[in-house]
Amino acid sequence: MGYRISVDTGGTFTDMVVLSEDGEFHVGKALTTPDRISEGMFNALEVVAETFETTPKDMLAATDLLIYGTTRATNAIVTKQTARTAFLTTTGFRDILVFKEGGKHGPHDYSYDYPQPYIPRRRTFEINERIGASGEIVRPLDEAQAREVIETLKARKFEAIAVSLLWSIANNTHEAKLGELIEEIMPDVPYTLSHRIAPILREYRRASATAIDASLKPLMQAHLTGMQRDLRAAGFAGDLLVSTSVGGCQEVETLVERPINTLKSGPAMAPVAGRAYSALERMGGDVIVCDAGGTTFDVGLVRDNQLVYSRDSWLGPQWTGDIIGASTVDVRSVGAGGGSIAWVDPGGLLQVGPQSAGSAPGPACYGAGGTEPTVTDAALVLGYIDPEYFNGGRLTLDPSAAEKVIAALAKTLGKEVDETAHSILIIANELMIKAIGEITVNDGLNPRESVIVAGGGAAGFNIMPIAHELGCATVILPQTASALSACGMQYSSIVFEATRSRFTDTNGFDRAGVNAALDEIEADLMQFRDSLGTAKDATVTIEFFVEARYRAQVWELDTNLPKPRLKTDADVDELIETFHLTHERVYAVRDEGSPVECVNWKGRISIRPFDPPPSPEPSDAHSTPTPNASRSCFFGGSDRVDTPVFRGANMVIGDEVKGPAIIEEPTTTIVVYPDMSARLSAAGNYILDCR
Amino acid sequence: MAEPETTLDPVLISVMANRLDGIVREMTNTLLRSARSAVISSARDFSCCLVTGNDELLAPAEGLPVHIFGCHIQTANMREYHKGDIQRGDAYLDNDPYGGNTHPADHTFMVPVFFEGEHMFTAVSKCHMADIGNSIPSSYFVRARDVYEEGALVFPGVRIQRDFKNNEDIMRMCRARIRVPDQWYGDYLAGLGSARIAERRLEAFCEKYGKDTVKAFMREWFDYSERRMIDNIRRLPKASLVNTGRSDPLEGILPDGLELTVKIDIDPDEGNIHVDLRDNPPCVDAGLNTSLGSATSAVVGAIFNALDKDLPRNEGAFRRLHFQYAEDSVVAAPTFPHSCSVSTTNVSERLVNITQSAFAQLGDGMGLSEGGAGLGAGMAVISGQDLRREPEPYVNRLMLSTNGGPASAVADGWVNYAIPVIAGLMYRDSVEVDELKHPIRVESLTLVTDSAGAGRRRGAPAQQIEYGPTHAPMMAVISCDGQHSQPRGVLGGLPGTSGETWLIEDETQPVRLPNVAQVTINMGQRVRGRDSAGGGYGDPLDRETERVIVDVLEGWETLEKAKDIYGVIFTGEIDDESLEVDEAATEARRKELREARAA
Repeated sequence: MGYRISVDTGGTFTDMVVLSEDGEFHVGKALTTPDRISEGMFNALEVVAETFETTPKDMLAATDLLIYGTTRATNAIVTKQTARTAFLTTTGFRDILVFKEGGKHGPHDYSYDYPQPYIPRRRTFEINERIGASGEIVRPLDEAQAREVIETLKARKFEAIAVSLLWSIANNTHEAKLGELIEEIMPDVPYTLSHRIAPILREYRRASATAIDASLKPLMQAHLTGMQRDLRAAGFAGDLLVSTSVGGCQEVETLVERPINTLKSGPAMAPVAGRAYSALERMGGDVIVCDAGGTTFDVGLVRDNQLVYSRDSWLGPQWTGDIIGASTVDVRSVGAGGGSIAWVDPGGLLQVGPQSAGSAPGPACYGAGGTEPTVTDAALVLGYIDPEYFNGGRLTLDPSAAEKVIAALAKTLGKEVDETAHSILIIANELMIKAIGEITVNDGLNPRESVIVAGGGAAGFNIMPIAHELGCATVILPQTASALSACGMQYSSIVFEATRSRFTDTNGFDRAGVNAALDEIEADLMQFRDSLGTAKDATVTIEFFVEARYRAQVWELDTNLPKPRLKTDADVDELIETFHLTHERVYAVRDEGSPVECVNWKGRISIRPFDPPPSPEPSDAHSTPTPNASRSCFFGGSDRVDTPVFRGANMVIGDEVKGPAIIEEPTTTIVVYPDMSARLSAAGNYILDCR
Repeated sequence: MAEPETTLDPVLISVMANRLDGIVREMTNTLLRSARSAVISSARDFSCCLVTGNDELLAPAEGLPVHIFGCHIQTANMREYHKGDIQRGDAYLDNDPYGGNTHPADHTFMVPVFFEGEHMFTAVSKCHMADIGNSIPSSYFVRARDVYEEGALVFPGVRIQRDFKNNEDIMRMCRARIRVPDQWYGDYLAGLGSARIAERRLEAFCEKYGKDTVKAFMREWFDYSERRMIDNIRRLPKASLVNTGRSDPLEGILPDGLELTVKIDIDPDEGNIHVDLRDNPPCVDAGLNTSLGSATSAVVGAIFNALDKDLPRNEGAFRRLHFQYAEDSVVAAPTFPHSCSVSTTNVSERLVNITQSAFAQLGDGMGLSEGGAGLGAGMAVISGQDLRREPEPYVNRLMLSTNGGPASAVADGWVNYAIPVIAGLMYRDSVEVDELKHPIRVESLTLVTDSAGAGRRRGAPAQQIEYGPTHAPMMAVISCDGQHSQPRGVLGGLPGTSGETWLIEDETQPVRLPNVAQVTINMGQRVRGRDSAGGGYGDPLDRETERVIVDVLEGWETLEKAKDIYGVIFTGEIDDESLEVDEAATEARRKELREARAA
């Protein structure tokens, strides 16, 4: 076997992980080149190629598989470079995208404007038709009027069209007809129909998914096929897959038809990595996955070895942004990181964030003009960072600048400098503790019974006290932590979901109707599999889910179907019991007396076109490494402590370090706090004992 | 025993405050997601908070501003009524508007939390129930002459659980009187479940930090909050503000509505705000009387609208707010047996508007305009028989269309505002979800062009909805207080348009309904409701042309209104997006309008 490469192109950095024939990961990082993504990719490849003493070209030629993750779609939306898209909807409901779903941040905050809709009202067109809640045609489609509208779109040179009609999930004939008319009148213009991209109840969610998808089509088609071309031109002859928001990957041909699935694909891969690492270390199936970057802290979950999904994923802030509508791996993000600024509020309490110095000017110690004390400045003052070896020595920090800004803050607080820096870290930890608390509580996961997998360049500074506060005994911090998402891709599968909306409740359960919906879903999944190239014959798993709720509840819970079809009443009973258990886990109550309403049905197919990286045998070795240096650090209390510093490169499997200690890896630093310890596992992960 | 005096590390105070905030957020999330009726799960008409064992409001969630004040009175009553007989495993239900609660529709669940045998906290969830056994199928009864005609079951601090088990007598009483009792019971489980979750978390919290530290924390957190409040008030000018407003008429009872007055004295030297609510009409024989809890919350919430956004809202901050109430008044001083059925809305909505716009008297940059008010047809309580399967009764409040929000000095009005006491926090119902749940069809739901109150910052436009039944007649109870007195602008801002309701059978002859209406919509008929729009802030002629062009392109305002009110002239077309501001013509037009105004 040749190389397997995964690439995660972020806003700032392009992370690359190369799996070599000996089963080892090699990480390369380069600045992202937004104008031509492949350039940044080749730069990162060059970094890795150096370690193999070969050229990027030769490496590419020897690569069997490349998995590409991109933020291109997200960036296009943020920078408003998506296609000029028309939105077609049922007459009387042109404001679906304006109204969104309500909700506002801060009951007393009137300092910000109401958000603009994803597609402006002036590009919204009403179609005379109406379908009712049970699929009945209330008003037939006025074909003449529809033609007129599409002719107008043609005259106004729209580049993409989104069609989302009320109740198209119950009866798709009107949408399908509009699709035909678009193909007839505007044959070269891409379009998206809501019942195909997101056949789910709730008109705003469906409309938003449809609008976003259509608006991305021209751009992502060009981008993905262009990337394919660039790679081929560079001598790459292997398979190309693209990572998606469900924590899986897809062939380019599939994704150009559903570009919405590339959104948030980077963060979605971190839980995939977390699941793999926990399995590798035999730590169980409940995992909290934290990815700490310079400006955000992302948290995702793995429960019972399963990724956790959400339909409540937004571009931009919840409620005021645009909902993605399609199911995505549930990853929550809080604005907290090395760049978060510390300040004192008018009541005299220390606060950290939400303002951030970002990467430019960045923390004061970057020496690039930052004048506010940040978390990174605090970590530097505390001795946790070697100013000469930050980010593998690529950036030299200025300790005196950090000292100066922290001292100024200390003066305001009437505290010592060390104590102030330490307080900044404690408060920053709180933001992350809360973020983890919310997502675990939301999904009924107990941190005390889970393991944390931590990644991102900034995780090592404070993940141990965070885990300790949460009552979580163990943290796995991979040596490749800084490229967690790219690592996740190495363990991913081709994943595809199909959905049908078929409402029924357990008082008069429509078994035939539900089974028919499940048949349709399965047919979609099989058709998808058959459309694949080389992956067609790989191992397949299929799971079914229903989004269900108690009678009259508004929000559904994802419930696994115990069996692929509901053939008998006993099967239905089993499903009801599964729902009660899910409800009890999440909300602490069950209501035996209530009928259960089933709303959307979902099938997910996972295809393993390639084997995960080999998993080394665990090692029982225990050894004590010799420190490379020592530094004076502060961990609270009254005095600084002389703290041994270890270089990760010099550590061997089984090496165990007792805190206080610092372990330095080229792209991450791990602070082992007093009374805690760290051990290097056979798989190349640091196992942090945080009890 | 004297309290041990400890001084806590300020970092620990932050950490502990953060943990409590996490607990209240968990309560909120649990209740929101597991509740049954749309009034809770969509309209978010509920709130969760933690009160100390000594009945001081400690930590509220980001809940409805109209619930912020009063829970501490309810917990105090609970302790008084059950003196010496409160223990772990108890839970209490209170909805008495004469005992600190907002109005009878708000069922308040209180769980006393014990640690080492001491009552440390009370966890409180307050939920607006879809039905409470009133004599009409609505938990809002504007025309209720007194509490007897209103008909609500009232629970003054009643114990509903002992040893974590329901008092089944009370469950049966509720099931015997409340419409769609399973829905009520589902919301009961959600409300109580949320308070029980808080109990578990608070016990762990006390375990972790120890009793003395927790007590010291509470003390210091209140002191900190008070310091924040003092600091904020010191930055306000010294002023006495008086503002009045008028509620809508009530056919046959209050032909002119009610004139309402709020007086506010800001004393930056002492760091206090004094509110005088005494100059208001006596109680009325209708459900419009406001409880102490509602009226105070409405005013407190509106004052917070004028202060820093991140102020803690708790007993410590409230120490700096001082209220004077009348003996017998429609505002905050109900006398028995007057009804407070719509205490949280109608008059309270006006109190929010009067208070927040009073602050604009302090000058540009301060206060807000008035927000759109009134629970119109899109927020009606609908009820009837659902014949789509086995016949089944239904009752629920809609949250399909909402009023437009007020403008501030810096931002335009919020579209999804609902009413001033909800302040944009609610979720909208999905049309599809409502059509699935109830035998209703929505014909249309849109923004109303040219309805917004113009200003340098504009109010949010109104919305209009049309709906009717699909299988059998439906009753809609509409308790709207927003169809006569328009939401006013401030500092030169113009008012938003008022709401209107029609019953339509023949499209050519819509029948206008009064603002408060209880209407049966028969098959073939529809109700059409228009909500009101927010008032503007500042002079519309000062509105940046780049904002006006977006309004016009988006169809929120017309070219005519742009010309007549904003003084902005365009070239090009809207349709092909070639519209551009004609700078010279605009300047001339604005000059002309200013001169006409001066003359």
